Amino acid sequence: MAEAGTTLYFIVTLFAASIRMAVPLTLAGLGETFSERSGVLNIGLEGIMLSGAFFSFMAAFITQNILIGVICGCLGGLLISMIHAYMSFKCYVNQTIVGIALNFFSLGLTSFLFLAYFGRTTTVPQCPVVKPIKIPLLSDIPIVGDVLFNQDIFVYFTVFACFVSYIILYKTVWGTNIDSIGEHPKAADTVGLNVKRTRYVTAIINGCLGGLGGAYLTLALLGFFMENITSGKGFIALVVVILGRRHPFGVLFAALLVGAAEALQFRLQTLGLGLPSQVFIMLPYVVTVIVLLFSIGKSSDPAALGISYKRSSR
Amino acid sequence: MPDLIMKDIYKGFPGVVANDNVNLTIEKGEIHALLGENGAGKTTLMNILYGIYIKDSGIITWKGKEVSFKSPRDAIESGIGMVHQHFMLVPTLSVAQNITLGLKNKGYPFYNKKKVIKDISELSKKYGLHVDPNELISRLSVGARQRVEILKSLYRNAELLILDEPTAVLTPQETDNFFTILKKLKNEGHSVIIITHRIPEVMKITDKVTILKDGKNVATVNTSETNENELSNYMIGRSLKTFSTREKTNESKEYGLVLENVSFKSRNLKALVDISFQVKKGEIFGIAGVDGNGQKELAEVITGICKLDSGTIILAGKNINKSNFKTRKKAGLAYITDDRQYEGLVLDMDVSENMILKDYDQEPFSKNCIINYKVVREKTEQRIKDYNIKTPGINTPIRLLSGGNQQKAIIARELAAGPSVVLACQPTRGLDIGATEFVRQTLIDKCNENLSILLISADLEEIVSICDRIAVIFEGRIVGIVTNGTDLNLNEIGLMMAGHIGETVNS
Repeated sequence: MAEAGTTLYFIVTLFAASIRMAVPLTLAGLGETFSERSGVLNIGLEGIMLSGAFFSFMAAFITQNILIGVICGCLGGLLISMIHAYMSFKCYVNQTIVGIALNFFSLGLTSFLFLAYFGRTTTVPQCPVVKPIKIPLLSDIPIVGDVLFNQDIFVYFTVFACFVSYIILYKTVWGTNIDSIGEHPKAADTVGLNVKRTRYVTAIINGCLGGLGGAYLTLALLGFFMENITSGKGFIALVVVILGRRHPFGVLFAALLVGAAEALQFRLQTLGLGLPSQVFIMLPYVVTVIVLLFSIGKSSDPAALGISYKRSSR
Repeated sequence: MPDLIMKDIYKGFPGVVANDNVNLTIEKGEIHALLGENGAGKTTLMNILYGIYIKDSGIITWKGKEVSFKSPRDAIESGIGMVHQHFMLVPTLSVAQNITLGLKNKGYPFYNKKKVIKDISELSKKYGLHVDPNELISRLSVGARQRVEILKSLYRNAELLILDEPTAVLTPQETDNFFTILKKLKNEGHSVIIITHRIPEVMKITDKVTILKDGKNVATVNTSETNENELSNYMIGRSLKTFSTREKTNESKEYGLVLENVSFKSRNLKALVDISFQVKKGEIFGIAGVDGNGQKELAEVITGICKLDSGTIILAGKNINKSNFKTRKKAGLAYITDDRQYEGLVLDMDVSENMILKDYDQEPFSKNCIINYKVVREKTEQRIKDYNIKTPGINTPIRLLSGGNQQKAIIARELAAGPSVVLACQPTRGLDIGATEFVRQTLIDKCNENLSILLISADLEEIVSICDRIAVIFEGRIVGIVTNGTDLNLNEIGLMMAGHIGETVNS
């Protein structure tokens, strides 16, 4: 009996943790989905998340207010995204190169500012974290209630964001406009759609959601900040976008899959199987690569992905 | 008071004056042709009207008011629609989504599918523009896409429609259908501007013609008061050259190029299916068909750029299935590509370097891996003279030459090695009339020298004017082969281009 109880507990916590691990990937992935569907490839997602994580932590640490932390996290992501947008749309620099540069820029900037503010400390500075919100009645359902309805506000928001994104992209004219700009910007231009403005809007969405994904790491999962805290989550989010075929729910499920692998590796580490911990840390990345292998040849990228639009001067 | 007056429109691009004080007047309900050669400034003028380019100076009056459109949106809102030569449709979206793209209909931002489809169906019925609103653009034929483009403009209440080279990609039947639609538009009170360089069409369908040359007005005449010769004189300064069906001088029984059951898959799609034909020596064999039906793949399989999946290709009596591009060239194959800027030339290299692109590693151009520039210069100068290539010098980057002269350079290079088979893929596309005539004459001359010529062209007029036999390609299959002559049935070829299986006449 006791053993069955332990197994059940293991499974419940594993599922609950999978969902939490999936949140930052889903949020960042949703943002990138908007961006890529409008034809902008932002490899700088890692930088966006890192910047979001840092600024949300700093704001929450200084003000001890989580809401301000969340807002600053969005703004931090927005900062990186807007640099990317400006460089791509205004200066016509290669989008991939700018993205790579921004990842390093963000890593350097956050590490430097963190060190400059706190110096070398032995104690890790902590910020307040969000508490789970039990949803009345629903959270009382056995297993499911614990997994789905005893989570923090970010989790609920993520699901909500998926629904809203789905409606925008598939049910409204805005979604059609974004798709047309990603596929054939010139056609969109000739019917009077503003290519640049739309891409700026998707870049704003990308920055905010990516920043929020980063903020989740500090304000919900960890409660502290350290150098390179995202450690590749932004890149995994890029993969999640491809796996999810740039569909909000596809992104959600892909993120859950990778999130499960990550949650599992934490659990496996604590089981004491006698393997070096690096083997387990590898797991989510291995899963990512394997799943990517299965999706070979099925991608349908927007035709103008990564190409900045210039109304030709001849 | 005319609907549209464009007065003294001036537009310069770096190094060129595209429109030099051009005037154009359009009355309500007329079909007006804007006639001129490539680079005469027709499209530029229309892009200025449509808000894509901003004019340097001049006045545009639309419906009695002076206007200056900053973007296509302004033009659309004022009732001007434009159908571009390269259609502005999003292939992954449906017909209805494309037609309503950028509009704020009732229910915005939600997509009111029912009403949109009803509106589109009514419009299609009214103008005879048949198309299924739910179909994806990527699954439509070129003719259907054009109807979608016209519907798109009409849906936006366009009173003036600008059509850029509307018949360039249509089969003869589609063209006739298109003319019927134009007449309906006219009867409903719409004005139409057609940008074209095809004089017979101008005579057939328009009320008035404005001729442009080198960015300047040449004349504006009523179609009923002019004739083809006069228009041609206005447009190019002389009468059009006609290639009547040639006298066959040397009927040979030998084959220069033979294809037997050649099949080829590209990205898992069947690009070529069981292609078989023979090109005799001293014959021009034409491949007609609407663009994108496997022409490019056929050329690349013959040249060896793509590997065929099955079948055999025999060049000058030898099986060349396994040979690569270079060996095929040595075996006597010359290739005039349809994409001269990217496949035919290295634009930033100079004329002489481009001349030796394919045999720079052979004598006399090089020995022991060292290029002999003296020989290169002599040969280049010789070819420039022979082919009358207009260039400031042999060291001018070939980018700076006109399209016609670039094409002459390619032809000079390809024919220099003394080939036995010439494969010409869309050789006159985008060339002005003078260069077009030169290219056609060169092909005829080479044919008379007993070479085999395979001419792949989407321009049916070109095929009919110089080919001895004509094969029609549709979705990667040869649907019929006919012998050219005075009794040639153009209607039949048109049907074959649309996919109807024709009678195979093997001679």
